[in-house]
Amino acid sequence: MNPKEVSAFIVKEGLKTGADEIAAIAAHDTSRQVRFANNEITVTKTWDQTSASILLKKDRKILIASVTDTTEDSIRNILKKLAHTVNIMKPHESYAPLPEGPFKYQAISGLYDEKIPKLTEKHVDYVETAINAALENGAKRAAGTLLVDDEESSLATSRNAEGTLKKTAINLVVRALTNEETSGMGITCGTTLKDFNPEKAGEEAGRLAKMSANATSGKSGRYEVVLTRPAAAVLFDIVAGMDSAFSVDAGISCLAEKLGRKVAFDGLTVYDDPRVAGGLGSTPFDDEGTPTARTTIIEDGKLRAYLHNSLTAKTHKTKSTANAGWISPHAWNIVVKEGKLAEKKLLESIKNGLYLNNITYVRFQDYRKGDFSAVIRDGVFKIENGEITKAVKGLRLSDNIIHMLQNITAISRESKQIAHWWMENETPSVTTPLIRLRDVGFTVPTK
Amino acid sequence: MRDLADFAVEYALKLGADYAEARMQSDVGAVYILKNGNPEAVGFSREHGLGIRVLVKGGLGFLSINEPNKALAEKRIKEAVEMAKASVAVMRKPIRLSDEKTVKKTWEVKPKIEFEDVSTEDKLELLLDIDKTVSSSKAVGVPVPYRILQLIENTTEKYFVNSEGTTISSSIPRVLFFALLTAYEKGGETEQDIIEKGEGRGWEAVEDWKLIDLAKEKAQTLGKILKTAKKAPREKLDLVLGNQVVGLVVHESVGHPYETDRIFGREAAQAGESFVSLDMLGKRIGTDVVTVADDPTIPNSYGYYAYDDEGVPARRRLLIKEGKINEFLHNRETAAELDTSSNAAARASAFNREPIIRMANTFMLPGDQTFEELIEGIQTGVYMKTFGEWNIDDRRYNMRFVGRECYRIEKGQLKGMVRRPVLEITTPGFYSSVDAVDKSLKFEAATCGKGDPMQGMPVWHGGPNVRLSKLKLGGTQ
Repeated sequence: MNPKEVSAFIVKEGLKTGADEIAAIAAHDTSRQVRFANNEITVTKTWDQTSASILLKKDRKILIASVTDTTEDSIRNILKKLAHTVNIMKPHESYAPLPEGPFKYQAISGLYDEKIPKLTEKHVDYVETAINAALENGAKRAAGTLLVDDEESSLATSRNAEGTLKKTAINLVVRALTNEETSGMGITCGTTLKDFNPEKAGEEAGRLAKMSANATSGKSGRYEVVLTRPAAAVLFDIVAGMDSAFSVDAGISCLAEKLGRKVAFDGLTVYDDPRVAGGLGSTPFDDEGTPTARTTIIEDGKLRAYLHNSLTAKTHKTKSTANAGWISPHAWNIVVKEGKLAEKKLLESIKNGLYLNNITYVRFQDYRKGDFSAVIRDGVFKIENGEITKAVKGLRLSDNIIHMLQNITAISRESKQIAHWWMENETPSVTTPLIRLRDVGFTVPTK
Repeated sequence: MRDLADFAVEYALKLGADYAEARMQSDVGAVYILKNGNPEAVGFSREHGLGIRVLVKGGLGFLSINEPNKALAEKRIKEAVEMAKASVAVMRKPIRLSDEKTVKKTWEVKPKIEFEDVSTEDKLELLLDIDKTVSSSKAVGVPVPYRILQLIENTTEKYFVNSEGTTISSSIPRVLFFALLTAYEKGGETEQDIIEKGEGRGWEAVEDWKLIDLAKEKAQTLGKILKTAKKAPREKLDLVLGNQVVGLVVHESVGHPYETDRIFGREAAQAGESFVSLDMLGKRIGTDVVTVADDPTIPNSYGYYAYDDEGVPARRRLLIKEGKINEFLHNRETAAELDTSSNAAARASAFNREPIIRMANTFMLPGDQTFEELIEGIQTGVYMKTFGEWNIDDRRYNMRFVGRECYRIEKGQLKGMVRRPVLEITTPGFYSSVDAVDKSLKFEAATCGKGDPMQGMPVWHGGPNVRLSKLKLGGTQ
């Protein structure tokens, strides 16, 4: 069965078990990956995978299941287990039914590139191009991952929602090193080959790695900071995770109780936009079948909305924002509204600051307040009198999410789509310009 | 699927692979989620499929399929062999695998109580009882308005076959309890903590954990921190780290940097490399009292296995012995590079993941003092019993741990609570400061992240209570 047939079969069979409602998402995914390190390929990978996820609701009780075996017998079997279990479950306090269809989903352009599945033989060339570009620009070693994906998925619900989605993706991350301690990173990603540029990603990584050489130990303190796109993507990936109503209700969001309040710099506007042409997370429908639309999360510094599915929307007495996740709502594509300054202008006013290219390993001591620390890498530079002057090492970013959002002072005017391994909330993409902040804390080891 | 695994190995060899292996893996699991007393959902998962590795002229290829379809297997194996062959163009040195003994074995961890034999109702009742206890301000002394409770159970079955004649069948149940509790008084401060209990056995583990008492104690502690904890001292002091903190420290700053794939740079683009180099083997990194092991063979442990995912028998690895770097973690690829044998650290989290070097149960070995003896000589100190925030740089050199349940030590006695002291220290700085360890040994369960795509791996980490002398706490700006 193809994904559309699988999802339809699940809904048909699921209703036979006596369920009140059923939703199903079935997918077939073919992915390929080339990993490299020390200027050579370390492994090539291919995945060919079918999967199905099932949501079953009965008497205000909720069950979910996921299977990789999408044959009729396997599906009947798991549905039987769900139907049996639902009878001994407890009802959900703020139950909400699935949205009533049928819906007409508007297509989103630029999500499928027919060339991508056919270019297997080019994968090694792309990697070689990126490695060579990194080395030519000053790196001694290059490492990274090329991931190429071709997926077809299908949603069906017992409330007459039906949709299919075909997407491709190509993502290359290059980390270049000049020695054990100094590195740079470059990224090129998208749903089509249009903007895919392995040479540029390699060049960027190599250039930053070269600039990082001869880094000296940084001093703890508070600095003005410029976040490049990969670093800013991590910050806004966290904002997206904390904007999920599930996080708010679970006590793991510093955005809780702040709806309508000022949480950020006046000039900051952040959207979740699932309808961006070529967006890595773009989709015409969410996991409940609700047609997607742009949600303004932060507008001119004020928190405007949480991300909702039907269940969290019911709890918060509002409407779904089409961000289901059956259990936890999540962002599709975070978009940070561009500012007015050219990148160079962003640095001009900084007398003594830091330029950060990547933020990694973000861990919170208090999610609700937003206190955290993080490891910075892949290009950490001192800014003196408006110019990048030297590389620094050994500093740890130690601050608070709300404090950082409120201390943004400027946003550059050119944004790009970013996806990388350290976006640990797994927002599919963040499209962001460069961000300037003041009064950001950094610490160093005491021994 | 077993037949397909056997066929895959033969077929890959026929296509020119010098080595091939296939791992049929099935993971059958369930998750029970309670949020703020509300049964959010119950979920079931059934994942099974085939992960295949081929080595072709020194190029390594991995593929996975989950449909038991011979024609599909042939198509994908052919592609994988071709891609591995093509990758040799961007390699300086062919990949080799160490010579290991051929094994034909079946191993199993048999649950005393099968997960299926306990009803969903009973499992949810347990979570509801825990929730009822921790949400009672009267019982725990503080409002705990936010509570996420999860029970996750999983049974993993594998069949491994390789072209050298090894075949291994295995089965192991694993169960994890996770709780995130947030104590918060409106307009006041927040304290949050996590409980994670995990073992490689059946439901009997959950019965032994006494989760209601454990969660109640944790919630009560959050209340005490909120109500009584004071600022940490700023002067130089002696720091005692609790078992939980020591476990995480050795996991992050010994286990990870001693993974030879990190030392060789294979993980550079993601989790990072290592401050440890091969020539540091035998060199001193800490004081004589520091001995750190990683041991997959601890019965019932969350990181237990008898053979790794390359078919090599598991054994204890002594990573640091009496302060000196003693051994690194190897798979067959890194072992071959150093002309040694694998010490069975290759693990894959699912059928669709390649086996890579992972820890199992990493811990500092205990000494012979009591906890009282450990603190009796301390004039001014802090006891960091548990941690909240932590991180470490990608070379595993510069690390930070922020305490959660912490006490001031004055003249050899534990006094009042201290709020969020920060230990920010280099790895050599840490191990050279350890001057005593007590005789306790406790483990915590965790899911360790590594790889691309990410592979969450069940592990334990642990240790004794440990004393560090004459340190300054960090974290202030």
